[in-house]
Amino acid sequence: MQRFLLAVDTLNTFIGKLFAWTIVILTLAICYEVFCRYVLRAPTTWAYDASYMLYGTLFMMAGAYTLARNGHVRGDFLYRSWPVKRQALVDLILYFLFYFPGIIALIYSGWQYFYLSFLLNEHSSFSPDGPMIWPFKGLIPITGVLMFLQGVVEVVRCTIALRTGQWPERLHDVEEMEKMILEDAANKSDAEAIGRGSL
Amino acid sequence: HAQASVKLKFQSTWPNKDIFHEFAGDFVRYVNTMAGGRVELELLAAGAVVPAFQVADAVSSGIIDGGHGVSAYWYGKNKAFSLFGTAPAFGWDADELMGWIRYGGGQALYDELVQGILKLNVVGLLTGPMPGQPLGWFKNPITSPDQLKGLKYRTVGLAADLNKELGVAVTILPGGEIVPAMDRGLIDGAEFNNPSSDLVLGFPDVSKVYMVRSYHQALECFEVLFNKAKFDGLPKDVQAIIRGAADAASSDMMWKAQDRYSKDLEVLKSRGVKVMPTPEPVLQAQLNAWDKVIANLSADPFFKKVIDSQMAWAKRVVGFRLEYEPDSAMAYNHFFKKA
Amino acid sequence: MFLSDPALGILMLVLFIVFLMLGFPIAFTLMALGVGFGYVTRGDTVFQLFVQRTYSVMANDVLISIPLFLFMGYVVERANILDRLFRSIQLAAGWVPGSLAVATLITCAMFATATGIVGAVVTLMGLLAFPAMLRAGYDTRLAAGVVCAGGCLGILIPPSVMLILYGATAGVSVVKLYAAAFLPGLMLAGLYTAYVIIIAMIFPSRAPKLPPQERAGSVFEVAWALATSFFPLAVLISAVLGAIVFGLATPSEAAAVGALGAVLLALAYRSFSVDKMKESVFLTARASAMVCWLFVGSAVFSAVFALLGGQQVVENFVLSLNLSPVGFLLLTQAIIFVLGWPLEWTEIIVIFLPIFLPLLDNFGIDPIFFGVLVGLNLQTSFLSPPVAMAPFYLKGVAPKHVTIDQIFAGVMPFLAIVILSMALLYLFPEIALWLPSALYG
Ligand code: NA
Ligand code: NA
Repeated sequence: MQRFLLAVDTLNTFIGKLFAWTIVILTLAICYEVFCRYVLRAPTTWAYDASYMLYGTLFMMAGAYTLARNGHVRGDFLYRSWPVKRQALVDLILYFLFYFPGIIALIYSGWQYFYLSFLLNEHSSFSPDGPMIWPFKGLIPITGVLMFLQGVVEVVRCTIALRTGQWPERLHDVEEMEKMILEDAANKSDAEAIGRGSL
Repeated sequence: HAQASVKLKFQSTWPNKDIFHEFAGDFVRYVNTMAGGRVELELLAAGAVVPAFQVADAVSSGIIDGGHGVSAYWYGKNKAFSLFGTAPAFGWDADELMGWIRYGGGQALYDELVQGILKLNVVGLLTGPMPGQPLGWFKNPITSPDQLKGLKYRTVGLAADLNKELGVAVTILPGGEIVPAMDRGLIDGAEFNNPSSDLVLGFPDVSKVYMVRSYHQALECFEVLFNKAKFDGLPKDVQAIIRGAADAASSDMMWKAQDRYSKDLEVLKSRGVKVMPTPEPVLQAQLNAWDKVIANLSADPFFKKVIDSQMAWAKRVVGFRLEYEPDSAMAYNHFFKKA
Repeated sequence: MFLSDPALGILMLVLFIVFLMLGFPIAFTLMALGVGFGYVTRGDTVFQLFVQRTYSVMANDVLISIPLFLFMGYVVERANILDRLFRSIQLAAGWVPGSLAVATLITCAMFATATGIVGAVVTLMGLLAFPAMLRAGYDTRLAAGVVCAGGCLGILIPPSVMLILYGATAGVSVVKLYAAAFLPGLMLAGLYTAYVIIIAMIFPSRAPKLPPQERAGSVFEVAWALATSFFPLAVLISAVLGAIVFGLATPSEAAAVGALGAVLLALAYRSFSVDKMKESVFLTARASAMVCWLFVGSAVFSAVFALLGGQQVVENFVLSLNLSPVGFLLLTQAIIFVLGWPLEWTEIIVIFLPIFLPLLDNFGIDPIFFGVLVGLNLQTSFLSPPVAMAPFYLKGVAPKHVTIDQIFAGVMPFLAIVILSMALLYLFPEIALWLPSALYG
């Protein structure tokens, strides 16, 4: 079980990080378009389609990764002050009540949506040479599956927290600046407290 | 009042203040009054449930029960879709396109595309013929086809393919973004549809050159969509009422457009807009480009089948009109252009 | 069914506010309510609706600039520019009363504008400027207020992600919003600075002068410090903003060029590495996913809300109050202000604003003007207790003797200045509307 959890975490983190690099491609693609349009006076026909596809790919494929990092914003002004066991219980119930039904819909209906587009060999309607659009639509069910797997992992995390009263550690990863600084500051004051023998 | 009323959600694809949204509202009003409460369409604002370009998918999957738009919007699914709205300029007008749909085999071809090839779960009523559309709004007058090369220009449907053949860099922008984009010089030219819409969307604020008479969209009509299961489930007489309402709204729209478009063109002029005809070399280049677009896309057998049917109709019907009708310019000039 | 569709719509909204407090990720709470209520009333077509709304967020061309601006922000943030920036501005401002506080405000405003990341600015300045002010004998509350208020300016001063979200939600031009928010942003920063200078002049003990040895040596030294830190960042910000406002590029184009510029700038400072690039890329992906999934959730929520006719009920209710346009403005801004206590600005914009926006037309209120008022108002959501990110971040890095109450007390005058700015903006709408009308007619 533990190995499955880690495998899913690692898989989603890997996929999220891999597709995170689309931001670099997006930056370069748009800069190239800017160069073509303003310097060469010959705008590309693909920049518009390429830019929303890269942007859409970026955030969809990072959805499960963000969940694995507990990065989806919560209205946590009450939640924050709850004991871990209560947090875990509420989360556990809501994963089944709120999360899985929607994600299953995303997989099932997303597949139908993609499959119809695939059968039609649907192209983008945004330009006369619009690129194929069905691979992009295919990201919806794929994302759904990744989110489903990550949801299972989060459910198990909740059950562990329910038993132990402690949230299990997440994979180590890069953090927001404020979080790193705050953790540093907290560690330092702990260290000082230890130094003074009060802990 | 034995029968319960069926309430249908009906979403337009037009900006709220656009006269097109008003036309959608007119159709809804006809249905609701004529059906005496047995069916009730609720008109939703554009984007309320789904964005404009997703209305066909949404009607097909039953998310909304109906929608009001143009077939050119779905041309990413199949370029032939655009033929049932903004077809090539064979010299016919939108009213003659409606004639083809009714009596030239157009509706059967449309149904074959929508229900047969694309497997969409929709019933489509083609309605509301529009007059020819302006080439659009520019920073400087377009005097030759060369001026179009490399120009960043907004249009839709097969007109996009046509302009690509002319060397235009076609951009598709959402309706509300056309004017700000032009103001900032992001696009050098743009067209939407007609004087009333163009006035409301704010084109005269950003450009003073309005090139009219163009072959890129010499004709177009609206498309009213209903979810097929929902529509087939209605009593036969209610279905007939909806079809009748589409025809009634269609005629009413033509008459209303005569009034509003002509008035609003004067308003545009009074705001310092220079209204200029598209020069003949550009028109000729457009016709030549239509040849290429038709040749390219006719590789698809269904596209070719529709084009052949349209050309046969236009050849006969327009030929008849030209042979049969007197020249309206001569009479007009006799009465209104006296020295 | 016991309830009519519109009643269900209102119930859905109320339940959302209740469930919001359970602390579950908001995107999925919205998704669940939208899909759930949609299923009860419309059957399984709601699953297709959910998928299509998801797709509409994926293909939304306004939101493209969000990851790009976030990327630019993370690169600037990780390039260790802040130290130099603060020191050079501090040198240049040495002669002004309350110079350290003024330098802090200017640094915050600039850095927050370039990065748009409030938390990073407050914590970094909390480590850098806050202790410097305390050492110089500044009043703790004043110093705390300056860091917190300055750190939030980035959400208003363009290029701001907040305005892109507003533009995408309200369907108004992001470009015009930028032009409209520019002067009000400067006004707010100017009022903060004026307040600090006045306090320093009236109560020199709260913001004492720097000892001479800490002031600049020569004009050359100051000029060099500014040329190597202040100007490169200023050029980057002005280029991005200028390109957008003067119509040379779309927001996403300017953002992409800005991101590339930030990478070059970081390389020029020799403070960029493969690791920092990776960090920026990964954080961009997570932050983009956070914002865009919120849009996905709210897209299905608001579509079902519209299908149920909930919007109509809200509209009829508000219209039945017979409010004047002023009354409507006051009511909506008060609601946004109160929502800002427990919530953060993303949720307010993505979830609650769509309910007010369709009403603007009835009262003849310009959505661009309204957007700038909202932008000012949302400054308070970071600052006002009980949930105030900026004071919490500062508390986390501040010396132990600084209490959260001191920080909140220090923030209060700045909250008052925000409200004063809103009043000024209401009385003189030209502050927001002049620039867009001068630029775009
Ligand atoms: Na058009
Ligand atoms: Na708050």
